[in-house]
Amino acid sequence: MIAPSPLTVPLENIAPCFEGILPSTICSCSREGTPNLTYLSIVHLLDPRHVGLSYQFFNKTRKNILENPMVQVVVISPETLYQYRLSLCYERTEMEGPTFDRMKSNLDAVASQTGMSHVFRLHGVDVYRVLDCRPVSSQAPAESFPKADPLPELEAFSERLAACADLDSLLDTALDALSTIFGIDHSFVMALDEDGTRLYTLASHGYAESGVGSEVWVGGGILGVAAERRVVVRTTSLAREMVFSRAVRSTVEHQGKETVLEKEIALPGLPNVQSQLVAPLVARDRLWGVLCLQSAVTGRFLAGDERLIQIAARHLAATMAMLARPDAMAPKAAPPRRTAERSPMSAVVKHYGSDDSIFIDDTYLIKGVAGRIFWKLVQSHARTGRVDFTNKEIRLDSDLKLPDIKDNLEARLILLRRRLEARCDFLRLISVGRGQFHMEVQRQLNLEQHL
Amino acid sequence: MKRAKSSVSISAELKAFLESGVSVVVGTRDAELVPEITRAWGLLVSKDRKTLSLCVPLATSQKTLDNLAGNGQIAVCCSLPTSYKTVQLKGQCIETTDPRRADLRAVERHREAFGRLNDRIGFRRQRTETFWRRELETSPVLVNLRVVPELVFDQTPGPDAGSPL
Repeated sequence: MIAPSPLTVPLENIAPCFEGILPSTICSCSREGTPNLTYLSIVHLLDPRHVGLSYQFFNKTRKNILENPMVQVVVISPETLYQYRLSLCYERTEMEGPTFDRMKSNLDAVASQTGMSHVFRLHGVDVYRVLDCRPVSSQAPAESFPKADPLPELEAFSERLAACADLDSLLDTALDALSTIFGIDHSFVMALDEDGTRLYTLASHGYAESGVGSEVWVGGGILGVAAERRVVVRTTSLAREMVFSRAVRSTVEHQGKETVLEKEIALPGLPNVQSQLVAPLVARDRLWGVLCLQSAVTGRFLAGDERLIQIAARHLAATMAMLARPDAMAPKAAPPRRTAERSPMSAVVKHYGSDDSIFIDDTYLIKGVAGRIFWKLVQSHARTGRVDFTNKEIRLDSDLKLPDIKDNLEARLILLRRRLEARCDFLRLISVGRGQFHMEVQRQLNLEQHL
Repeated sequence: MKRAKSSVSISAELKAFLESGVSVVVGTRDAELVPEITRAWGLLVSKDRKTLSLCVPLATSQKTLDNLAGNGQIAVCCSLPTSYKTVQLKGQCIETTDPRRADLRAVERHREAFGRLNDRIGFRRQRTETFWRRELETSPVLVNLRVVPELVFDQTPGPDAGSPL
């Protein structure tokens, strides 16, 4: 067998061209000889001699490649802005397998975010053999992006995580380490709730508002799809993807088919986010939540970053799973505590039984399981003056009707503690040792129970 | 070059779109039906709205020019960077010439408008200027193509892309 001649420019030398940062163009040609052009949002690099294009709609390009497999694609380097012509020959369409699944998850995630789940459907991945890749300009350099060695950073990251003794410090340490070690300044962790239907923000780094307690549905939007399918969803040019998606939306509306459209979901986090990487947090074959990284820079998270962050996320999830176990380690001795000075002021704490929401002086604090726990604590405090509690007594309290996922209690208490820090300056929950916490109350609490 | 079959008349609205800051690419093919893409600048619609002219860089478009000399078949695709509204015209290239002064002025206007539109979606002016320079760094020579459009299609992405306008 004769080996194919080497490409003028090896595809791996221009890898950033295949990240969907700048649009590409494809030209096909009918059997009769009429050329046809289409813009592409991304060309996927499959291996050194193959690229893949998504097949979503049966259009002229598709008709042409079935008649005449020869096409040309022009990609643009987002780094140098040189263009490259790829001479391609259509080989086959894949409708299952890892490449198909990866492209489908990304497409479905963005479609869900933009309310287009019923419009954007991946029918297949058209696989093309690359006959040659040539620069459009003869001045173009032979681009090459040497692979950085990520091991020192990964080692430093795992070292920081290994030093964490509880879930609370683990989350802050992990997000801080992503910033200081990997230079990722905006990130947050969402945890899966007890019935597996929602994700709630447990910790964040680098945002004007912490967003702790905000929720998204599992299966909805980019975060929700990444969680539901336990896959990484990475986007490199979100603003452009949104423009692309809205263009399709307007044509669907123009056809009078608005019923197939859903509402666009607002993206949480950075208002001007361009790049986003969402990695599932999976350990012990269980989804614990998602890690979301954001950047206002296009093309911030590339294929190499995806692999790196997958490893970091798996390490974080494994440590979360270990620290969240009720019997993870013996309790350490509680440090001495000062007694909080009680102000002469009072505050009204309202509990609404319909959804266990809590309001302190008419300001919303929290709802659901964490709201139920908080109500129990303040009731106990009001009755007996208690300020010290243990996770174990909460876990065993049948009145609380806690869901049967014991590992989540720690996460709920962290959420409660962080919401109190953000919303209330006279009531704090302080961790005083593994499985123990102290409630610092600086005002008289007047409790009101509502339906 | 071959003669065009019949020209479509370009509406005032479409003329305004084609002469705005759209991204313009040209598709041709050779005798073996192998396609070739090149980028074009300064699209102008004629006064009678039956032909259009546009410039391609000589250094990066040699195969395109050979293809056009061989069969004249051409597709011109114009897409607005801010909305992805896209129109494709298919027809015959009836002439390749040196650009006139008006063509070069159109190229400058296009370059300016293209940069302005891209800036609105976060692609900075300096970057569009670099992109433009890359096109012409081997040679600044442009070649003007005169095209008779025979069919016009709405190429905006979506299920209806490719439907006739």
